[in-house]
Amino acid sequence: MARFLLTHGVTQGAEKHPQHEAIRFSGQALSYAELEQRTNSLARVLMEQGLRRGDRVGIYMNKGLESAIAIYGIMKAGGAYVPLDPFAPVQRLSYVIQDCGIRHLLTKEVKRTQVEEILRTPVDVECIIGLETAVDRSDVRCLTWDETYQAPNQAISYNLTEQDLAYILYTSGSTGNPKGIMHTHRSGLSFAEWAADEYGLRQEDRLSNHAPLHFDLSTFDFFAGAIAGATTVIIPETLTKFPASLSRLIADERISVWYSVPFALIQLMEHGVLESRDLSALRWVLFAGEVFPTKHLRELMLKLPHVRFSNLYGPTETNVCTYYHVPEPPVGDETIPIGVPCANVEDLVLDAEDRPVARGEVGELVIRGGVVMKGYWGQPDRNATCFYRRKVFDDFEDIFYRTGDLVQQDESGNYRYLGRKDRQIKTRGYRVELDEVEVALLSHEGVEEAAVYPIPDSQGSNLIGASVILKSESGLTEADLVEHLNKRLPAYAVPAKIFLLNDFPRTSTGKINRRELQAWALQSLGN
Amino acid sequence: MDRKTALTQFIKQEIMRNPNAKLQENDDLLSAGILDSLAILQLVAYIEESFGIKVPDEDVVFENFQSIRALAQYLDGHN
Repeated sequence: MARFLLTHGVTQGAEKHPQHEAIRFSGQALSYAELEQRTNSLARVLMEQGLRRGDRVGIYMNKGLESAIAIYGIMKAGGAYVPLDPFAPVQRLSYVIQDCGIRHLLTKEVKRTQVEEILRTPVDVECIIGLETAVDRSDVRCLTWDETYQAPNQAISYNLTEQDLAYILYTSGSTGNPKGIMHTHRSGLSFAEWAADEYGLRQEDRLSNHAPLHFDLSTFDFFAGAIAGATTVIIPETLTKFPASLSRLIADERISVWYSVPFALIQLMEHGVLESRDLSALRWVLFAGEVFPTKHLRELMLKLPHVRFSNLYGPTETNVCTYYHVPEPPVGDETIPIGVPCANVEDLVLDAEDRPVARGEVGELVIRGGVVMKGYWGQPDRNATCFYRRKVFDDFEDIFYRTGDLVQQDESGNYRYLGRKDRQIKTRGYRVELDEVEVALLSHEGVEEAAVYPIPDSQGSNLIGASVILKSESGLTEADLVEHLNKRLPAYAVPAKIFLLNDFPRTSTGKINRRELQAWALQSLGN
Repeated sequence: MDRKTALTQFIKQEIMRNPNAKLQENDDLLSAGILDSLAILQLVAYIEESFGIKVPDEDVVFENFQSIRALAQYLDGHN
């Protein structure tokens, strides 16, 4: 059977080794046969409930076996799955649901209160799967997960192509609203096929799923794992906060391939009592999303001498596009490279005038190949500017995605990451547009001016700081502003500290001097 | 002030940053997303400083931090 859809890995697994475990979660498991059957049932129910090819379906729940069932069931029905951050404020979720027109929502009973709140906002949800009883709305059909599994579970015939939409991941947007990154079966599979091959994944492997579903790291955990016929161990969100619990899980579940942001690994190293755990099954530690501070990486590699380490790089828009296998614990504190392009990825570095630079010069990395997204959902203007079109021959135009990342190729051919062209930052692996936080602050009527900036922490990452000038007599406190932001932004994007000032330092042209505000904030926080 | 009250106040003020937040001792601090990794470190530092109880890394596990009651019970067992 040819493999050109992200669901084919599961179907092939169910044919070749039906009893092998595909997914594990908190001591429960689904074999490949069970996963295949349950996703067939879910797909059938979704189609009966009016899902049409290309429709977007929301996944709004804490992690569980249903996470995997939802992902594959939606795609089998011809839909694109849209993971909704289970901890995001309702207002933000409602925006996403409206933005991409979600009519079908998969959830769990524990989210009932939030689901009912969402339904009171102007959304067009028609069908909810996962609530135990109906909601108080006659126009919304509700089914339980058990009812869904009772639907016939034979394979359904669908005529999807590799260019059909598979999933949309929403990420911070500089205009103040999140934006949806569209991936097709082809772009998802291009990455997963490369990853399964590059890391030599096999049926015996047990992959961690540490990242949330709305974070692109999760596509490796599920899709590369399924291609290899391996087992993916979904980690409950509650556990990810506790390094000692995590290390116990890695040992007990005999995880062989770990993938997370560096922050989680640093926490594991510092508080995970690794020396008291049997981590002999672990063979690969993959990390992505942020720069891994070299001194911490060295320490971790020395603690786990039997494990290989690999740095994966790529904005969500390209899945992963370069990688670097760390050959040995780095000497010195120079940042490790982001490496070389993955198979079938074409790379180019442009100067400020969009001209390719000479090898070794600094410029913006642009990427072409199967891994690149289809575009942003419903944003023609952004789509017009985020791609770089280069005429190669008279009749052939090459299209690259602009990463916005400044890079430089070193003598060994490895790319090194130097920084961003814009005001996007990473905080504990999460991607945040500082402008989005400013827009959210300014949306409070009592705020006159706002400036948001990163505050580097000692872990190689950033916290977010904000300085605000209030309108006179607004009487607002920091707590009021935090409350305002909590309704609009995910918790990781809410500034760790908001300073209330009477005036801002300005540059000679009258712009807010954010650099000075940042320096002042660093000083006052005692860093 | 007993420990539960002190912990409740600390979580409201320093972690939720909302002194008027509603927080019961049995509320699930984790599933609701109240505690993140950073907040847990803050909480451990607060416990060590205010109650003089050293919390070893192997005890910073989700069972002990699920709710204010669970945390207080853990601390009572380590006096």
